Amino acid sequence: MEAFINEFPEVLQAFGYTVLLFLCSGVLSLIGGTILVAMRVGPIAVLNKAAATYVTLVRNTPLLMVFFFFQFAAPKIGINLKFVDVHIGSFDFTSFFATAVVALTLYTSTFVCEALRSGVNAVPLGQAEAARAIGLPFSGVMREVVLPQAFRASVPPVASTLIALLKNTSVAAVFGVLEAAAQMKIMTNNHADERWGIFLGVALLYVVLVELVSLVAISFERRWRIA
Amino acid sequence: MRFIRTKAAIAVAGLALSLAACGDAGTDNEGVEVEASEDASFEAGTRMAELAEAGTINVGVKYDQPGLGFNETGSDMPTGFDVDIAKILVASLGIDPEDTSKVQYVETISDNREPFLVDGKVDLVLASYSITDERRQVVGQAGPYMLTGQQLLVPEDSEAAGPEDLQGKEVCSVTGSTSLDNAKAQGMKPVGFDTYSQCVDKVLDGTVEAMTTDGTILAGYAAQNEGALKVVGEPFSEERIGVGYSQDYPEMCQWINDTLEAANEDGTWAEAFEANLGASGVETPDFPELDPCES
Amino acid sequence: MTALEHEPRSAGRGEPLVVLTDVQKHFGSLHALKDIDLTVTSGEVVVVIGPSGSGKSTLCRAINRLETIDSGTISLDGQPLPQEGKALAKLRAEVGMVFQSFNLFAHKTILENVTLGPIKVRGLSKSAAETKARELLDRVGVGHQADKYPAQLSGGQQQRVAIARALAMEPKVMLFDEPTSALDPEMIKEVLDVMVDLAHRGMTMIVVTHEMGFARTAADRVVFMADGAIVEENTPEQFFTNPTSDRAKDFLGKILKH
Repeated sequence: MEAFINEFPEVLQAFGYTVLLFLCSGVLSLIGGTILVAMRVGPIAVLNKAAATYVTLVRNTPLLMVFFFFQFAAPKIGINLKFVDVHIGSFDFTSFFATAVVALTLYTSTFVCEALRSGVNAVPLGQAEAARAIGLPFSGVMREVVLPQAFRASVPPVASTLIALLKNTSVAAVFGVLEAAAQMKIMTNNHADERWGIFLGVALLYVVLVELVSLVAISFERRWRIA
Repeated sequence: MRFIRTKAAIAVAGLALSLAACGDAGTDNEGVEVEASEDASFEAGTRMAELAEAGTINVGVKYDQPGLGFNETGSDMPTGFDVDIAKILVASLGIDPEDTSKVQYVETISDNREPFLVDGKVDLVLASYSITDERRQVVGQAGPYMLTGQQLLVPEDSEAAGPEDLQGKEVCSVTGSTSLDNAKAQGMKPVGFDTYSQCVDKVLDGTVEAMTTDGTILAGYAAQNEGALKVVGEPFSEERIGVGYSQDYPEMCQWINDTLEAANEDGTWAEAFEANLGASGVETPDFPELDPCES
Repeated sequence: MTALEHEPRSAGRGEPLVVLTDVQKHFGSLHALKDIDLTVTSGEVVVVIGPSGSGKSTLCRAINRLETIDSGTISLDGQPLPQEGKALAKLRAEVGMVFQSFNLFAHKTILENVTLGPIKVRGLSKSAAETKARELLDRVGVGHQADKYPAQLSGGQQQRVAIARALAMEPKVMLFDEPTSALDPEMIKEVLDVMVDLAHRGMTMIVVTHEMGFARTAADRVVFMADGAIVEENTPEQFFTNPTSDRAKDFLGKILKH
């Protein structure tokens, strides 16, 4: 545990990257998943198919492969994010961070989409019919009536998806981002005699973060239960 | 539990050595050929005696470092300087180092070298394994059989000549490696990937300015990508590469040191170095001074 | 101007408002709507009755295109029903719909249920929409419940809110799809009272129902459907006392016996 305590500032910095990866990809995944689910349940057949194909393709691909694609395949066909170069305090946001966010977002969006779709399916058909009957267009039906209720119904599955995302950020450790898992590797490599302490310390911090996400989810569930 | 030095010395002297420059399989890196010692004998009860008796051994090596430990896809016989030193050690036990039914060259990565030794999954680790005090708390490390320093691998047209030219720039190495820590200490921004070859990719596609790790590893990649990549700068760290063994068998230390010393005296060590790393333009250095074994 | 101030009705003598011509609809092998021709004039109250599965709900839902039709035309105020899209949404705003299962928006308060359409579709200001909504809620007798959520109201109250929600759009015609079928008996009257009141105020109404009492007192015309086709159309008095078709006689025999 000694190394863990001595190098705590580095650990915090690394968990800072973990949290930032989570927040950026989390928000973008919620937006992406919402757009995808709107395409999937919407009235336009082409979009239905496109969204369903995308979800099937990406959801069934290991996250590692998605990362690999953006780090090693995409640059070869001219897709890279080298233009990203932002530095805030001790945090650097370069192509590696951006690529990780893109990979995590594209991957997680599919799971958010499916979680929301389960929520949409839980909204009785009559709700959408009543909304259409008062003259709301599809976008209004979704925005005003279906999605707000779908979000409520899908808080638990979406929370699970976000928790998975939080842990999935560790894949970025081997794709150029010095987040918590990468920091752990540095420390276990430098302090071969304190592996267990370091593992436990890092695992504990992950548990704390996951617990925070769960608490936020529970509070949303509570707040939305009235209706 | 005295180690019989004379017998070990004889065993090593009995190694038949030849430099395989012929390149029969079309590869230009055949390393040295060593044959099993025919009169290997160790004091009863030692780990060496057990291994010699069993006739089988597991050795942890790297699979992704050309010149040190590198395995072609589909092959079960890796090549490189680490591997050749491993073969010398294996041969001294009277086991044929080329017989992969008896010797398993297990892939070890930076993360699992200590666990593999502690759990007994491998008997020896020769995987560009730097000797450090922390590691010696957990495993035994004999040697060093090579001294290297961390250098930089940059594109051929790069103007960077050392860490001073790459201040604040992103430099790639393996996630969690000491090289990344050193790069950070030198004022560069560390970027971690899973393997060195992925870093090479990132240097080639221009995402990072350079990659950094032991000069010997970089030399291997420079040789592989001749005309595209080059090694630059003076070493800015010193790594002492040694042989890992389990702390359960402290007697192995003296055997390893003696075998290494013998390989130095009869020239095998230098030949192995020349065969594996000479092509990339690195001059064969002096044999490093071995750490004494605690008895 | 509000829905409260409709002209006194002049029964069945207005312009043609809803016109269905040769409408066909299949659900797989089931011929759900068969050769439907129906014209409802402005201010008319038409009650559609018939055994279950006769296609009366489908007919009602087809008029605002919640069900698509296979062929034929449906026009509203001289304009044919558009395909999906903005034009259809605009037309639906002109047609009020009351469902069997109320379908109040579960996540919105009673007041928000009534103001949503006027604000989002008609572009009313929030305050104007709320003023009007409270008027309508008072009129249907649930004004004091405005800030509650649908689940906190009884079925009868919910259905009255649903009527208010539809009226808030100032529709040209109101469709009622079995509005009392999901209600407990003691709540049926409070909903029917609101509907009768609406009929007296001159609202054009198409009502699918099993409430023969309502048909007798409020309808200008009764349309009897069986097996997807309109079998008989008549004034309530004629229909209930002297039905012409065997199907209608049979049906009335069954329901009026008790």
